[in-house]
Amino acid sequence: MKKLFVVLGFIAAILSAVLAVTPLFKIAYFPSVAALAFGLAALYLSRRKQLPRKSVHLVLLLTLMALTVTTYKAIFNTVEVSDTKDLIQKEDASKQEAIETLEDIEIDE
Amino acid sequence: MFQKLIALIILFPVLGISQNTAIGTNEKLVFSASYNISGLPTEIAQVTMETSKVNTSSSTLMRLKCSAATYSSFDSYFKIRDLYESYVSPKSLTPYLYKRDINEGTYNKFEQYKFNHKSRHVERTMRKKKRSGDIEEKKTVTISDNTRDIVSTIYHIRNFDFQNANPGAVQKFSFLFDNQPMTINVKYLSKETLNTDIGRKECYKMAISLNKSDILKGNNDNLLWLTADANKVPVYAKFKIAVGSGELNIKSASGLKN
Repeated sequence: MKKLFVVLGFIAAILSAVLAVTPLFKIAYFPSVAALAFGLAALYLSRRKQLPRKSVHLVLLLTLMALTVTTYKAIFNTVEVSDTKDLIQKEDASKQEAIETLEDIEIDE
Repeated sequence: MFQKLIALIILFPVLGISQNTAIGTNEKLVFSASYNISGLPTEIAQVTMETSKVNTSSSTLMRLKCSAATYSSFDSYFKIRDLYESYVSPKSLTPYLYKRDINEGTYNKFEQYKFNHKSRHVERTMRKKKRSGDIEEKKTVTISDNTRDIVSTIYHIRNFDFQNANPGAVQKFSFLFDNQPMTINVKYLSKETLNTDIGRKECYKMAISLNKSDILKGNNDNLLWLTADANKVPVYAKFKIAVGSGELNIKSASGLKN
């Protein structure tokens, strides 16, 4: 039973760590909560049966790191648009083309 | 899907009125578009709506420009740089030229409509980039009297006289999108006060739906809030589509007419 919890905990912790570094970091909370639950269950079983706890500690450490990164990003991450040079050029070119096109259109205001 | 999403983000309003009293020629509205992932809103793109004056040799028009750009964190996954423009009469917001240049990931498309309101025709040019080579299509479409493009339709709603409208009133508006005539229904629901990035605002709340289209889902799930003042600035929108739901929040507003 402990092994199962450790394996599930590892999977969830790795998933949360991966998600934490992507732009979709907010959804990392879901696997983090699952990893914490599996890790704590495995820790409880290890203590009760006097089993080694190294792998359990690793799961919890990984989860804690993922949670820290996710929370830090949720609080301090600011969104910004960069690389708009092409868009600005496209806008300017489009306006010039449009003015030329509008000369051929009948406008009755 | 993203084309629909972006179009939707840019799409919202429409009601009728002949004179423009709400939109000036130097207005800039900046929005943040969020997509709900497992119930958590994630900001994905910035949407900018800008107006400016354009002079031709014979007339002065207003340029309505809507652009969408993904935030830099998303650029390496799915980069969007979309540009929608409409050149309209500053008095009536009647469109004469509509341009759409979308660049979403590897998907590129250009579309242009030249409106001839006397003969009720639209000359449409479409260019698409494909692996097998570029495609260019030219067609003429017959339109009804009040058919507009999507951008001028968005701005048009802001001239509606909500003060004399009763909650529950529905208005229908026609526009051309992707060469397809579409009808949008706008239902005025109520007045609500919202906290936004431009302050606490009393707003008109509306439900939006499209006829014969599967872009928008749900009943009264697509909502738009316009400030209950002379500018009727869109400050918040909620939309539901096949693959989830999203929001549009105003970040800044400048150059307002009133």
